[in-house]
Amino acid sequence: MTPTTLANVDLVSYLPLGLIITMAVGFAVANVVLTLIIGPKREGKTKGIAYESGMNPVGTARKRFNVRFYLIAMVFLVFDVEVVFLYPWAATFPNIAPGSPDGLMWLIRILFFLFTTVIAYIYGYRKGVFKFD
Amino acid sequence: MPEDSFLSTLLPESLPAQVLVSAATFVLIVHVVLLTVAYLIYLERKISAYIQDRIGPNRVGFDFGLPWLAFLKGFWGLGQPLADGLKFLLKEDYAPSGVDKALFTLAPLVAIVPALIGFAIIPWGGVVSVPDFDILGFPIVGGDVTVAGLAVNVGVVYLLAVAGLGVYGVTLGGWASNSKFSFLGGLRCTAQMISYELPLGMSLLAVLLLTGTLIPMGIIQHQFEHGWLIFAQPIAAVVFFIAILAEANRAPFDNAEAEQELVGGYHTEYSSMRFALFFLAEYAHMVTSCAFFALLFLGGFQAIPFVNDPLTSPEATGILAMLAKFAVFFGKVVFLICFMMVIRWSLPRLRYDQVMMLGWQNVIPLSLAVIVMTSVMVYLGQIGLVPMLLANIGLFLLLMLIQPLLPSTTENKRIPLYGSRFNPIDPASVQTAPSDPTAREDRPVQGTAPSIG
Repeated sequence: MTPTTLANVDLVSYLPLGLIITMAVGFAVANVVLTLIIGPKREGKTKGIAYESGMNPVGTARKRFNVRFYLIAMVFLVFDVEVVFLYPWAATFPNIAPGSPDGLMWLIRILFFLFTTVIAYIYGYRKGVFKFD
Repeated sequence: MPEDSFLSTLLPESLPAQVLVSAATFVLIVHVVLLTVAYLIYLERKISAYIQDRIGPNRVGFDFGLPWLAFLKGFWGLGQPLADGLKFLLKEDYAPSGVDKALFTLAPLVAIVPALIGFAIIPWGGVVSVPDFDILGFPIVGGDVTVAGLAVNVGVVYLLAVAGLGVYGVTLGGWASNSKFSFLGGLRCTAQMISYELPLGMSLLAVLLLTGTLIPMGIIQHQFEHGWLIFAQPIAAVVFFIAILAEANRAPFDNAEAEQELVGGYHTEYSSMRFALFFLAEYAHMVTSCAFFALLFLGGFQAIPFVNDPLTSPEATGILAMLAKFAVFFGKVVFLICFMMVIRWSLPRLRYDQVMMLGWQNVIPLSLAVIVMTSVMVYLGQIGLVPMLLANIGLFLLLMLIQPLLPSTTENKRIPLYGSRFNPIDPASVQTAPSDPTAREDRPVQGTAPSIG
């Protein structure tokens, strides 16, 4: 049996994931609860003030922020979805590509797909999305 | 009885040994990694001390202040991580007023959980063969099993998905804190992490195109047959390393916690164990990323490139081979982590706009070019080491040739500082003393004024 076929397709191979998540969550929660129990508790009048380098805080921190962060999030979505589409192709293409008549078609299709990504990139670049100043 | 037969269809008749081995491996590995993370902080302090010509932690031994354990005093400061952990537990867990209580508590948990479940997919010990056996009459089907916390067919996609979840902890921590430093740090960190996820995924694609499988053992098998992928895909390896540095918020990309600008970034308002969880998550993220890099580009558990030694080959399925593979794999991870630490203490931090411009204008187009180059090479059937290396060199030369033709921004050019060695001051214009001698007496002079002349 070659190691590449070892991973099981059926859901029973996902069973350890339950243990993994339980352990990680348990570790995190146990630490926080432990320090809540054994740590000291002292309240102070000025203790709860947000730290602003020793000055009195000005206004609130829940403010509007630069629209550039929204733009980055949107461009990220476009590119990330494109990359996600490429994974099944990347796992299949090398197994059929050389010496197959379909290979060229697969290559041209995905190159066209990447070409649309490049168009989107150039559009974003001309719009100044990737400029930070 | 109908209920009985329904139950028996739910319960499997036998369990593959893979499930048991995976569970045991993860329980072991999570302890190894947590201990490693504690000592990585010690290692980082020692390395920074070495680079800055200091001594570093060297006082805390294992004596715990008890006189009858005095012989354990000192010990090169190896007790420091224990003392730090204990101190974190004993400090006050304080939430400042005005924070969003629920999110403030949730954020460290959301940060640490993905960091702790990410490395489950790494096949530390390769493949080990287990015989058929049964526990209390319940049959366990043996065979060749992967020594990893999780052996699923989605493979490395699981790791990418979990790594993407790490952003939430930082974002929530920054938002919930009600502090401007935290808020700005969280925003910056979010933008940086989602930006560098793209080159991470794209350079991973360049590897998957050569291996043709998503399963970690298959990627390692490919590297045993064709040589390590760092030789076949050097550009993708560099891009991947830059991306994992940025994903783990390590210098030179640690803008989220730039001390000079943002105090502590998203964890400014955190204290005690909740802060420690953020800290642990960062270091556990380093371990995961470095293991990912070693898996993809450094041949996994192969000891020497191009040499198929019997102990660490994928065909070796004994217990001794498993231990040897684990040692080799972990050695590579520690080496990469030391490399990251040396980078942190050698390079200055990039400015935030430089980080984002590097990501969007340089690294992402570069990784797109690598994907196109690799897919053409795969179509031509030239996936050997030498043709791929030549193609990489060709791509690099091509990019260097067309680089001056590409549009470049005129901002952010290097400006020679007036008076530096790049822009020396004209000696004739330098005035060392006021021309008017009475001007000196306007100042309140304490003691005797030094004569300048």
